[in-house]
Amino acid sequence: MTVTGPDPATVRGDPAFAVNPTVEVVEVSVWFGPKVALSELSCSFGPGVTGLLGPNGAGKTTLMRAMTGLVGVNQGTVRIEGNDPRRNRAVHSRMALVPEDEAVPAGLTARQFVRYVADLHGVVDRDAPDNALREVSMLDAADRRVDAFSKGMRQRTKIASALVKDPQVLVLDEPLNGADPVQRVHLIALFKRLGAQGRTVIVSSHVLNEVERMAERVIVLMHGRLAAAGGHHAIRDAMDDRPRHVLVRSDDGRRLAASLVALESVAGVTFDSTRGGVVIQTVQARELATALPRLARATSIRLLEVRALDDSLESLFRELVR
Amino acid sequence: MTVPTEVATGRPRSRFAAILRYTLQSCIPPKRWAAVLLPCAGALLFGLLVHAVDSTAERAFANVAAEGIFGLVMPIAALVIGDAVLGAEVRSGTFHFTWLSPTPTWQIVLGRWLGGSIVALLTIAPASALAAIVAGTPDSAGPAFLASAVGSVTYVALFIAIGCLTQRTAVWSLAFVFLIERLLGAALTGIAQLSPTWESRAIFVGYIDDPPSRLVRDGIPQGGDAIVRLVIVTIVALVVANWRMAHLRLSGAAD
Repeated sequence: MTVTGPDPATVRGDPAFAVNPTVEVVEVSVWFGPKVALSELSCSFGPGVTGLLGPNGAGKTTLMRAMTGLVGVNQGTVRIEGNDPRRNRAVHSRMALVPEDEAVPAGLTARQFVRYVADLHGVVDRDAPDNALREVSMLDAADRRVDAFSKGMRQRTKIASALVKDPQVLVLDEPLNGADPVQRVHLIALFKRLGAQGRTVIVSSHVLNEVERMAERVIVLMHGRLAAAGGHHAIRDAMDDRPRHVLVRSDDGRRLAASLVALESVAGVTFDSTRGGVVIQTVQARELATALPRLARATSIRLLEVRALDDSLESLFRELVR
Repeated sequence: MTVPTEVATGRPRSRFAAILRYTLQSCIPPKRWAAVLLPCAGALLFGLLVHAVDSTAERAFANVAAEGIFGLVMPIAALVIGDAVLGAEVRSGTFHFTWLSPTPTWQIVLGRWLGGSIVALLTIAPASALAAIVAGTPDSAGPAFLASAVGSVTYVALFIAIGCLTQRTAVWSLAFVFLIERLLGAALTGIAQLSPTWESRAIFVGYIDDPPSRLVRDGIPQGGDAIVRLVIVTIVALVVANWRMAHLRLSGAAD
């Protein structure tokens, strides 16, 4: 299923494909023994930031590894700027991968590590490693060992090692993992800036909110297949329009339930004795979020807890592939 | 990325030198050094053991070195090195920082092998020579050094090739040493002719005076000819490693 949305960067009628693709994935299948990680997946990526979304085990990491050539595909083709990354090693000078794994080389300082990557790519600018570390606010820790860093610092150092080669295609696997809120804002701004410069930036995440803050376009994977593609507004609308269940605990559940049925945004109300509250079914979550506090104030009912029972990306994916 | 106003440029630094430096700095951390030096200490103990053998020091050392040093210490220490320079990196997920570069695979293989060989030449070979001195046969130190040096660099090449062929480098390398070389090599001369253990023994035997007759094996070249044989094995192993490295499937644990 594809979700069409107002995204001018995609081929008319099929938001899974970019107009000017730099990365093309055609009918790709990858399996590891009996486990199928990707199944006949076709999509493409062009300049700008594209989010790759999916729950754990959806195949995001495998797709990213296949795109960069780390994993050979069993069927189909992958092309980076028209080249097969498994056959043409020169293409690696144009692209970079920031893996999700925490593993970093042992015994090297951040500067030594980034310089090593720069040397492998024939970077002539002697200041490039320090500039890359500065981009991710790691210059102050440049002389500390990478293997002693926290997860967030490791991630930023790996991003610096990707930036040092000045790539046209940047593939980032869960790059915000372990980053503190300030760093998240900084990194998101960095990715958006790189995308605005005309680079192809592919960012994977399993958090929709995170992706929609930086990506104009989103590709959703589920069980190794394309579940949805389009602008993030289209994905968000798909999420908003599906039925949701909200648990509300209050000091007077019976009166609250009676009042709720009058609301337009409420499709149904049930008592949930195990959770000790009222479960509201709605297809207008935003309207309910506005109406519920008003109703509580008008009826003098004290709300103790309001919690969406299925407000996770996994539930969206389930809905999309239904 | 922001572009600095003044760019300090020059010739790009050598990729091969970068790989060699990385191999020595990162692939062999202090714990690995300890794991290499432990069997080397074992070589010295084998040297001491010679004093307990009722024979001339030369002959006793030749017998002990053939079994203890070339058959045990050298392959185990070389395995620790060979696994460190490639297999361990592939397993831990850090090898793709090297692989995802335009660097030709032959430079990666050669750089890793040279780095591992330097470590072997600084540890295993001197330990073998020192064992001869400890045993009271300084004349055997040279042949022991030479045999260990050639044998261990061949092993490093073989273990790099095994690291490119399999995910479990250490297990397959141990199987290679103890099942193929020790068991099959003892029975089949054809296998012993290509085995670093047997050929190292043959190098050693070829360069010492009056070797014990049990160490001279028919069909296996000795001395310089054995060195040539191991050089060929090394080259073939590196070619296989280079070919396989281009086809590596570097899948991580995640997803």
